[in-house]
Amino acid sequence: MNIDILLSFFVVLISLFGLVVSRNIIKSIICFNMLQASAVLLFLNFVHSKEAVIPILSSIDSNKNIVDPLPQALMITAIVIGAAITALALMFSIKIFHYYGTLDWDELIKREG
Amino acid sequence: MEFIPVYIIFIPIIASMIVYLFNNKYISYLALVSQILITIIFIPYFNFLKEHGIHELYIGGWNKAIGIALKNDMLSLAFICLSIIIWWLILIYFWDRRKVDYKFLFFFLFLEGVFLGLLQTNDLFNFFVFVEATTIISAILIIYKKDGYSIRAGFYYLLFNSVGMIFYLIGLILVYIVVGTLNMDVISNTIILIKDTNIVKMAYIFMIVAMGVKAAFFPVYNWLPKAHGAAPASISALLSGLLVKSGLYGFIRIGQIFQFNYFNEFFFLIGFFTAFSGVLFAISQKDIKQILAFHTISQIGIVLMGLSSMSGNLYYGGLLHLFNHAFFKSLLFLGAGLIINEYKVRRVTEIRGVFKNFPFMSIYMIVGILSITGAPLFNGFVSKSIIEYELKNSFIKVIMLNIVNLGTIISFVKFSQIFFGNSDVKINKHINRTFSIFLLALMCIIIGNFYNPIASHLLNIDLPYVCHLDIIKWVKYIVNLAIGYVIYKKVIDRDYCLIKKIRHTKISFQTSNLMLLFFIFTMIIWSSILV
Repeated sequence: MNIDILLSFFVVLISLFGLVVSRNIIKSIICFNMLQASAVLLFLNFVHSKEAVIPILSSIDSNKNIVDPLPQALMITAIVIGAAITALALMFSIKIFHYYGTLDWDELIKREG
Repeated sequence: MEFIPVYIIFIPIIASMIVYLFNNKYISYLALVSQILITIIFIPYFNFLKEHGIHELYIGGWNKAIGIALKNDMLSLAFICLSIIIWWLILIYFWDRRKVDYKFLFFFLFLEGVFLGLLQTNDLFNFFVFVEATTIISAILIIYKKDGYSIRAGFYYLLFNSVGMIFYLIGLILVYIVVGTLNMDVISNTIILIKDTNIVKMAYIFMIVAMGVKAAFFPVYNWLPKAHGAAPASISALLSGLLVKSGLYGFIRIGQIFQFNYFNEFFFLIGFFTAFSGVLFAISQKDIKQILAFHTISQIGIVLMGLSSMSGNLYYGGLLHLFNHAFFKSLLFLGAGLIINEYKVRRVTEIRGVFKNFPFMSIYMIVGILSITGAPLFNGFVSKSIIEYELKNSFIKVIMLNIVNLGTIISFVKFSQIFFGNSDVKINKHINRTFSIFLLALMCIIIGNFYNPIASHLLNIDLPYVCHLDIIKWVKYIVNLAIGYVIYKKVIDRDYCLIKKIRHTKISFQTSNLMLLFFIFTMIIWSSILV
């Protein structure tokens, strides 16, 4: 197996570990972002090939392989969705800090009363 | 006729944008106009699809394996029908002639378009995009009141559901690597040959777990009671009636693609645990909306018990219960919202005398309560008796279903205490709200009594064994009601410390993530043991 794929699996595991242990809301958001990025990295590593050329119709040389364009199109969409969720989550965390004065998950449960 | 699937996605979205941009009193009526347009377009399409059975649309005329595909069959048709009805009723509920908040209307209509797209798409990646869009928009609608509690609930909902959907993305990647396409039809045709490889199993497990997070299955339902409790009444009804079902819809679709039969028993068990733990928490709660939210979980468990078979009458029983649940749970949430709005308290022990203040609304809510507890003549009875009849070969499974039903009755005995007694709260009249609740109650009674034509039209099944005049069923319901009342008076009402402990159980975000991983590992172990 390719070393890149193993590394991106490793990033998935790190971010899952972070989601399970981190008490801070901002760290949770960061871990979510890492998970998203590692999923993207995983997909791009799976379809990556060094010899292939870019898939533009006029420049196709029949002797060479062409890169599959679909994964890149899909992943740019996934990145956009991730950015939207991150922005919304950061806005919510600012509001939570205004209301409760803390960004700690356990502290928030205590203050619920 | 051919492009109607596209129209019913984009009419609400475009109407929502116009409402947001122009923002005045008259432009708000565009919401009603767009609803009327969708309904007018949808009725001939319904007849068209009933003739043809399946309608596929490839946007841009591309090949099936490459292009964007929309596909409607009878399942998605029934879901579209349900969602248009629910959106109508909720629009009637919050409509106010003097002022409707344009931001609320924007998100509400946009959500309708996105949700109708989710039901019609035939592409795994577009499904992902639509689910994420519904998650974002419903998170914004949950925090609509902008107090601390609702913002926390919305944040939890957004982050946890997004983490779940990342697993869907990983599963989708694995499918794409193996099969090379994202079209659901093509995948289900080609994947039969390589079904037993580990990579396909992993893809299935990841995708189903993500759908489990959306649909609130047993270990990962913690976001649901928070979100449903914090949202405004109309949004709680929408979340509980429809948006939770997006997960179950995905569950059905992914199950149809992969067809792994050895997970059926597993999902039956998950369904039982979901139902049982939902009932257990619902009995201990005191907040009126929390009780209803936990009952959403328990009813989803019953639906899952039915759906887990993936074929046959048991599956249709689960499907019918899903539709019935949409009606009676929306009814109860809307009624609870009206009560909270007037009484300004949420504790079930402090609300009294609802029957004197709202005589008509109380009757409709009692219809809802009778439906959810499975009384004969109402719609919950029909689907529950289908499920029970199909499980008759296994004694343990029937006992499981009856335990859940008894728990439901106990907590609704507790809930129904709000109707008795007196109160001196001044009440305003809400004609449109009561009217929308009345329509929902009417739907419950109609489905409960004319289930035969509805089932044969929408689902193509016969139900000869469901009979309202079966004396055994009546006796069983009344005995259950009596036992439930006794248990309520002797155990629940005294508020022992164990019940208090269950009520104050709080599960943090980290623990929820741990449970998500636990869910994945359980599925991996189950699949490796059985094959």
